[in-house]
Amino acid sequence: MSRNASNNILDRPLGFRATPAGRSSDVSSVSLSAFAYVYSELVQYHQGRAASISELERRLESAGYGVGLKVLECVAYRGKEMKRETRLMSILHFVSSSVWKSLFGKSADSLERSIDNQDEFMIVDYEPITSTFVSVPQDLGQLSADAYVSGIIAGVLDGAGFSARVTAHNVQVEEGENSRPPTNATPGMPRRTEKAVFLVKFSPEVLERDATLER
Amino acid sequence: MATSKCSQAGQQLWAKMPKVGGYTRLCFAWSVIGFLVHTNSSYRITHQANAELFALTYGSLVTELVRDHEDPIEVNKQLDKIGKSIGVRCVDEFLAKADVAGLGLASQCQSLRDTAEVVARMGFRMFLGVGAECGAFSQDQKSFSIYFHDNPLSTFVELPPAGDDQMGDDLRKLKYSNIYCGIIRGALEQVNLKVDVTLVQCTLKGDEVNEIRVELKEVLADGAGDDYKEE
Repeated sequence: MSRNASNNILDRPLGFRATPAGRSSDVSSVSLSAFAYVYSELVQYHQGRAASISELERRLESAGYGVGLKVLECVAYRGKEMKRETRLMSILHFVSSSVWKSLFGKSADSLERSIDNQDEFMIVDYEPITSTFVSVPQDLGQLSADAYVSGIIAGVLDGAGFSARVTAHNVQVEEGENSRPPTNATPGMPRRTEKAVFLVKFSPEVLERDATLER
Repeated sequence: MATSKCSQAGQQLWAKMPKVGGYTRLCFAWSVIGFLVHTNSSYRITHQANAELFALTYGSLVTELVRDHEDPIEVNKQLDKIGKSIGVRCVDEFLAKADVAGLGLASQCQSLRDTAEVVARMGFRMFLGVGAECGAFSQDQKSFSIYFHDNPLSTFVELPPAGDDQMGDDLRKLKYSNIYCGIIRGALEQVNLKVDVTLVQCTLKGDEVNEIRVELKEVLADGAGDDYKEE
């Protein structure tokens, strides 16, 4: 039986859901609310076990880290050019475009270099799905529900050999900064006033290596 | 069809309105247009998320549960509990969306058979984008099974083979997709049907198809909300 032959997960096409008749369905999306329900349960579960906000963020990051490693593998295999990114800027572009597209269906809104610190970069997203529908209660003040995404980024970067510390921050959007219409928002929902900034701080050895490659 | 009915009703209303001032008529027209635009858009544009991100996120939740609880039976229980809290909430969204799409569920769900059809055909399609079938009704029509081939939760997933080592053997008892049971239980409880749900077959364990068995325990009286307890 063909079914048994394809039962081994390693023999099946990557990521596609194998169906008994051998037809591979091209359905590769679920409803946004289905994701939101599962994500909310993930956050709640960790919240119940974390003593502080920073611990909750750390737990979410570690939940995302494993996902990041797998995402890197998946995106790299599917990439057309079969190329391994070795330079600092190109891996950042890879994260903010390829990885972002495969996870969220769009590129990140911007990628910036910190003015103060050479080793810091910022990936900006105006409406990440992990926090667009989340309202953080007063007593959790500084919590960023995007910590999970920052964990994914850290996983991707680490897997590619660029160890980095990635943190998520909510930053107020300035007047007139984001003029694009919201893509994911429900009609009638007020525009987000905060954007998510993922601060990527590379380890010193990564910068050293990149400087060596420069020559 | 629905549109033509709407427009007929609209014309009749319009005809009855000459007595009121122009401003009211204008407001009325705008609200009708707004309503139509809103209904159409919320019906057509269903916001989507990447199925792989969904599967991986669920995976990281299950991994965490396995790490924290060790005993797979306990993990199954936790997944069921988590599912229930999802089900309780998602039934609202389901009914609202089905209503907007003009499916009139109130008149449709007269028996458990109808309910089974709605859960399998519409519920799975709306949230997960996969089709499911229902069948294997019992003699007394009080239990049925839901069958589906594509399980969006188990993309990328492989359970450790049996008898590999102590841990691997243990994990065979894990019902990876047990969250479905909780979701269905929670959702049906909100519409006054108390059910028992079990995951009977799972493609991850080498079965041909995923099968969820739903058994009706009792139809709750209205006002069940009163004895809803925080778990």
